[in-house]
Amino acid sequence: MSMMNLAWRNFKSSFKNYLAVILSLSFTILVIFNFQNLLDSDMFALLGKQNGERIDMLVQTVSFVLGCFMFFFLWYATNVFLTTRKKEIGIYVFMGLTNQKIAWLYTIEVTMIGLSSLVLGIVFGILTAQLFQMILLAISDLSVSFSFHFALRPVYRTAGGYLVMYLVFVCKGYVNLVRSSVLDMISAIRQKEYVKQNVWLLFVKSVAGVSILFFGYYMAVKEGGQEVMGNVLAAVALVVIGVYLLFGGFLPMCFLGLAKKKTFLYRKQRTLWINQVIFRMKRNYRTYAMTCILMLCSVTALATGFAMRSRYDAIVHFRNTYTYQFLCGQKGLDAKVRPLIEQDNQIAYSAQIPILLLDADLVKTRFAENGYALLSYSKLRDLAKASGLEFTLTEPNDREVVKVSKLHMLSLLTDRSHETVTINGTVYDQVVETTVPYLGYFQELMSFYLVNDDEYQRLLPLGEEQWSYHYQIRDINNFAASKEALDTLQDDMAGEKIARVTIDPNSSDIEWIKMMYTICIFLFMVFVLASGSILFMKLYHDAFEEQERCQTLIKLGVAKRTLKKSFSHELQIAYGLPFAVMAVSAYFSVHALEKMMYTNLILIYLRSVGVVFLLLCFFYVLSTRIYARNAGIK
Amino acid sequence: MNGKKVVEIKNLVKNYGVNGFCTTVLKGISLEICKNDFVAIMGPSGSGKTTLLNILSTIDQPTQGAVFLDGVDITKISNKELSKMRRDKIGFIFQDYNLLDTMTLQDNIALPLSLNGASGEECIRKTQELCQMFGLSGHLRKYPYQLSGGQKQRGAACRALIANPEIIFADEPTGALDSRSSKELLESLKMVNDSGRATILMVTHDAFSASYAKDVYILSDGQMQCRLSKGSDRREFYDKIIHMQAAMGGDCL
Repeated sequence: MSMMNLAWRNFKSSFKNYLAVILSLSFTILVIFNFQNLLDSDMFALLGKQNGERIDMLVQTVSFVLGCFMFFFLWYATNVFLTTRKKEIGIYVFMGLTNQKIAWLYTIEVTMIGLSSLVLGIVFGILTAQLFQMILLAISDLSVSFSFHFALRPVYRTAGGYLVMYLVFVCKGYVNLVRSSVLDMISAIRQKEYVKQNVWLLFVKSVAGVSILFFGYYMAVKEGGQEVMGNVLAAVALVVIGVYLLFGGFLPMCFLGLAKKKTFLYRKQRTLWINQVIFRMKRNYRTYAMTCILMLCSVTALATGFAMRSRYDAIVHFRNTYTYQFLCGQKGLDAKVRPLIEQDNQIAYSAQIPILLLDADLVKTRFAENGYALLSYSKLRDLAKASGLEFTLTEPNDREVVKVSKLHMLSLLTDRSHETVTINGTVYDQVVETTVPYLGYFQELMSFYLVNDDEYQRLLPLGEEQWSYHYQIRDINNFAASKEALDTLQDDMAGEKIARVTIDPNSSDIEWIKMMYTICIFLFMVFVLASGSILFMKLYHDAFEEQERCQTLIKLGVAKRTLKKSFSHELQIAYGLPFAVMAVSAYFSVHALEKMMYTNLILIYLRSVGVVFLLLCFFYVLSTRIYARNAGIK
Repeated sequence: MNGKKVVEIKNLVKNYGVNGFCTTVLKGISLEICKNDFVAIMGPSGSGKTTLLNILSTIDQPTQGAVFLDGVDITKISNKELSKMRRDKIGFIFQDYNLLDTMTLQDNIALPLSLNGASGEECIRKTQELCQMFGLSGHLRKYPYQLSGGQKQRGAACRALIANPEIIFADEPTGALDSRSSKELLESLKMVNDSGRATILMVTHDAFSASYAKDVYILSDGQMQCRLSKGSDRREFYDKIIHMQAAMGGDCL
């Protein structure tokens, strides 16, 4: 029989055993294909015109993340497969096959698996592409329309990228088998995992793991200035190491502790599953840690997406506080502007306020801004009243300011206490910062500081006082109707300094934020499905190793129902522990995000964790059905 | 054999295969085992020893005949009841120990009792008591891979005894052991039998092992060929078994 025939027979007879690997690989291909398809669609082209650089950056970042994801996923899947096959094909050593021939057999089999996965992944990718794009569009509510299409380019790109990476791992497996000693192969057949663990090593790992993890949490939520970026990166590294050590040290130690408490252990099937968890934990802790981190990434991605989305809505709302805004050196512009607007539109509300523009050289702040202006407390209160905006600010004392700020998309400056502003050599304490859009879009153009009326009068000689006029029309979509009249007014007043802002409610210059939201949801789906399928794949394989144990227990009179209950507990732990560690870690990551995005994300955190929980429940139910069957219990 | 009947086999027949290609492995076996008996069944390969033991231990079903275990005909009860019967009334000792390598010796021994719903304290007390009796007290925290074959098999015997079963079925318990370990195990089994704690049915092809039993049945070609009973001395009994083997022909055992 030729090697090809033997490999084909192995492939056919063990197809069921390989199914988990094939499905997982297909899933990865499906994800990459869908992303490539999205890139190839009109959506990016249309958005790209308006948000060019930002979209390019996003695409590059996500491509990199997905590339890494695919690389590690392939690494993991081929590694699991190599370990399993090494045990099985090691037997060929006794039939006189050389290492090269065994490695060649493995190569053919693994290529068959790779190609089957590729075909399945692409076919399912094509079938789900439209659905996928519809879901993404529905979620992201992008204001672009595009037609669904099928192109070969995404297929080539996906298949090309996948095959290159896969080939690397096939070669790695080949080299591994060629270099294996005969003893390695034989011992792989008889491989028994020893359960006993070095308690001191576990203790050291536990202490290190818990300390590092909590230090990571601390770094994530620690407030600061520019060092926050460094803190966040350190937190990521520390949490990854901490989670790894937690699963490799702390959790096994806890279960060993439980196993030592015999009065606790000897209660129905607890003896079975707790010991089994200890056994599995020793072998699988890397998988648990990896899935936990993937889930953590997924929740953080989703929370980022939701935060982006809510910030997008807030910015749109912020900008649309006023439709027309004027800045003018003379008082009384309202008498000229109002009738012009009222020719074509109804004014919903309007307000005016003097602004004291300061020379940038006179003002010193922690970070340089585009321009600086002062507002008087009582005038701002009047403006808020006229515009119907909330006003809860108390009047600042002398040498105190309130920053009237724009909405930030994201800020690494999380420690905003003890901010000061120096105006003409005098230091003012910034007592509070507000993002209420009192001056609408103007707040995005320069920095406003609110001072008390006396302070305003004192500082008046330092700058130039201008008057600002703000109008909101009833039908904001009809903004263009008054445009011509207002242009004419500006032309007529060409000799005077007059500036005007007209807000187009359908402006798409921040559409990229929605795209970011879409991509975050995409990443969430990828990460959470990946973590679920990695756990599922691992448990699918582990179940086959349970057959012998189950047969013994059945001979001893242990009911199948009891065994199934024991399996359920084992699987609950396998899915539950990574989930629980993720839920705690995600709280801190989302909290860190909250600080950077100036928003409350607790509900989003709960929702994201809830979604992950439901998906894991689905994988858990699937695993319970298959685990018992693979373990030989029907 | 004067006590309560624990096992009663009536005219047991077992066929394998389908019509036209049928092999009869057991040809009408009848046997009674009473409380506190220590019975050994000897026979050559293919004589039907394992088939008989599988039927008695409820793992296999007979073609004909009845098997009463503690008064209940096990050929006529449901799978669920069979499972309960195995759990409550039968203890097993297998040739290859079948200890679970994921748990310590103590947990392996306590497993049947804890699955039966006994309290943790009772499990601990009984495990320690049995391990004391079988000389395993110093090995309770060890995992199977840290134990010798003899220790593992004595551990398996403890596990079989812990739930106070009506009978213990031992399938070639010394098959994988060296002579010293075999002797230690058999001495232990004899001791628990003598102390009235266990009724034992052992299947073996080894005359030395069989000589520790009180009665030896010789099974050949699916039928019980003869029965030997021990007198007061084990060595004499051993000789008796050897003589019987010789008389029945070398191929018999």
